[in-house]
Amino acid sequence: MNKLFKLAGAVVLAVGLTVPAQAQTTIFGPGDLTTGTYFDYMKTVYSRAGLPEITQIPLTSFDKEFELQPLAAESWSLSDDGLVWTFKMREGLVWSDGEPLKASDYVFALKRAATTGYDFAWYWDFAGGIKNWKAITEGTMDVSEMGVKALDDLTIEVTTSSPKPYLPGVVSLWYPVPEHVWNEYGDEWAVNVDTLVSSGPFTVESWEKSNNSMVMVKSETYTGPWQARVDRIDIDPDIGAPEVGLPAYLAGETDFTNLNAGQIPFVEQRFPENMRTNVVFALSYLSFDVDSAPFDNVDVRRALWYAIDRKEMTETVLKGLAIPGNSLLTPGYPGYNADIAAMAEFNPEKAREFMAKAGYPNGEGFPTVEIFYRDQGGYNGAITSPMLQYLQAEFKEILGIQMDIRVMPTSDWMDALLNKKNNLFLAPYEFDYLDPSNFFGIFYDGGRHSYNFDDYDALVAAADANPNWEERLDLYEQAEMIMIDQAMIVPLVHPITVALVSDALSGEGIEPNALGFTPLNRLSFYFYTHLDKN
Amino acid sequence: MIAYILRRLVSISVTFFIVSVLVFLMMHAIPGGPFDAQDMPLSEAVRDKLMARLGLDKPLHVQYLSYMAGVLQGDWGVPYQSPGETVIELLARAWPPSLILGGLGVLIGVPLGILLGMAAALKRNTWIDYLASAIATLGLTVPVFVISMLLILVFAVWLNWLPASGWGEPKRWILPIIAYAAIPLATYARYTRSAMLDSLNKPFVTVLRAKGLSERRIIFQHVLRNSAIPMVTVFLPMFIGTATGSIFVEAMFRVPGLGSYFVSSITTRDYPLEMALILMITLMFSGAYLISDILYAWLNPRIRIGGRE
Repeated sequence: MNKLFKLAGAVVLAVGLTVPAQAQTTIFGPGDLTTGTYFDYMKTVYSRAGLPEITQIPLTSFDKEFELQPLAAESWSLSDDGLVWTFKMREGLVWSDGEPLKASDYVFALKRAATTGYDFAWYWDFAGGIKNWKAITEGTMDVSEMGVKALDDLTIEVTTSSPKPYLPGVVSLWYPVPEHVWNEYGDEWAVNVDTLVSSGPFTVESWEKSNNSMVMVKSETYTGPWQARVDRIDIDPDIGAPEVGLPAYLAGETDFTNLNAGQIPFVEQRFPENMRTNVVFALSYLSFDVDSAPFDNVDVRRALWYAIDRKEMTETVLKGLAIPGNSLLTPGYPGYNADIAAMAEFNPEKAREFMAKAGYPNGEGFPTVEIFYRDQGGYNGAITSPMLQYLQAEFKEILGIQMDIRVMPTSDWMDALLNKKNNLFLAPYEFDYLDPSNFFGIFYDGGRHSYNFDDYDALVAAADANPNWEERLDLYEQAEMIMIDQAMIVPLVHPITVALVSDALSGEGIEPNALGFTPLNRLSFYFYTHLDKN
Repeated sequence: MIAYILRRLVSISVTFFIVSVLVFLMMHAIPGGPFDAQDMPLSEAVRDKLMARLGLDKPLHVQYLSYMAGVLQGDWGVPYQSPGETVIELLARAWPPSLILGGLGVLIGVPLGILLGMAAALKRNTWIDYLASAIATLGLTVPVFVISMLLILVFAVWLNWLPASGWGEPKRWILPIIAYAAIPLATYARYTRSAMLDSLNKPFVTVLRAKGLSERRIIFQHVLRNSAIPMVTVFLPMFIGTATGSIFVEAMFRVPGLGSYFVSSITTRDYPLEMALILMITLMFSGAYLISDILYAWLNPRIRIGGRE
């Protein structure tokens, strides 16, 4: 008996020595928002919880060079009239509960969004141009009339009301909703771990509700492109604040962290190799109520346009936080036009001339104005305060304008902007999809800014529907010339984010792209699937 | 005494009702709602649908009455920011970490503060007094997030003795408890010092000394008890304030507690949670003052409760 035990012991020992313990790789990282409700991008975008984007597979997505890549959609084609798109899905994709992922799950996602109130509804009208979308969201048309159909289990047909040549990029934010799970639990399927199912490279293992930190594990059922290379991801939104993130990084509790302005010099000195910068495809700009005094006078707006020294601003108070915003589009963004950017000129004499021409020589008689800006964190929070104080001093010195500054929550700011409760705003905008129409559209008739410049609107409408890329760029150039001539807005800066990345991480996700920028988790699907950890 | 307590309970109910009306009105008077336009305009149709889902399309008095009817039956609603659970479930989940850390912070900070204050009062104008006063002043004036940051830097990053943040094993509790203890410690050190000095200068101390009582008995049996009134007054409100969490400490140490909900319920216009938190605090403070009043009578029999002889 004793011998038997010894033998068994030896066997166990031998097996134990020959089969190495499987090392689990876990990436610890910061999340974005501590508050949030549904883990469902198609239910709510602005108050979604955690990072549903990496657990569901969109039809397409962007890599770090911002090249469009097919994901759930294997290929797509466009009808001759430019209105009907047919997306062919990859075979063999399944939900994490084993059910097949079907075209109808995508169609269901949009139909539910249109009929139950979706805070991102504007996108599918404005960027997607989906036929009858608007009428359906307003309840004046039945959802069966929507220009989105599942032809069979693997084919989706999308009809747009006008040609949308950039639709394949737009559908990078089109995620499926598991209709079979929804039928059982309703929208509540996405509020606790037990009922969540995923179609993408990761599935949720645990969800701490108090701050929406989540542990996600590699999906065992995902067969599509961009598979997870690590076993687990532990994302904690509290680490998203650089004040918490850097100490956590130094204590080895996170693999990467965002940095704030005060931390950058320290990190530059200590860990220069581990720093990553990214120019966000975003613009901070001044916008006006162009229908009320004093900004209804184009010469006043032109005076402000010439009074901004972007170079000095970004080399002093915004050092490491932003680059000059010389045009609507950011360098590297599709359609960026260097000739247009070169026109952004700091010219105090011209600025003063325009002030005088408007009837306010040296600012005499000009009313005190108040600029509204919104209180927020992230890269915008870092730049707003120093930038506004800089502008306040510069406007005073160059134009004799007294500008007061007022901060408010985002929702109040948006309300003031839409309902014209003030005449001067500091406005930020980050891209939602990669096409010039995204930025040009926010000033288009009925967009975010209630501007109505007919020439501009006509050019933007023509450019939007034109399938020829070169012709479109030409139309957008003309539109931006009008924007500059009318000083519709005053572009200020493009913000930069700076992050610190641990040596334990490797892979394309943390390597700079051709422009030298590393978007990191701003491209979350690409980032988390192109990472290894030692 | 019983009649007094009953009378106080009635007045607490009235307070509760008045606070509920006031908070409800103030909450809805703040412009905006749970579904405001973020980066792009939200169409009227979409907003209407979202508001109707939460019953926010009904007139205000109807919303208030149906809310209070629920509260009286123990149904505090579902928080808008966490649709998968009820308000009660949210409190049951988020409060314990705050209660443990904040409660321990007070329970550790207060005795240490009293000791520090006593030492300062008894060794007045010596280096002990100066050191104690310096600690107390720093504890009150240095913001808690700076203290937290220093604790993390020294104990987690430099010395590597303790984890920087997180929740779970008790060793992760140590740094946040110290951060929490700073304010009770400093407050109590100052209160104890001034209350003790006040009592020490009273004629009865001279009488006791003349009677030949030992200094130890004078201090612990007479002076400390006579100085206890202000300390009792401060204790319960401080306990409530601390044990309901601090947004700063919890954010710095990544504690899944209640603190952040006080702010997020307002910024996200999470009406059910906002009401629940404020009404809960109202009840706790009302109860705390009732208990303090009863304790006064016990500590100093000359205080007659109820005002009627």
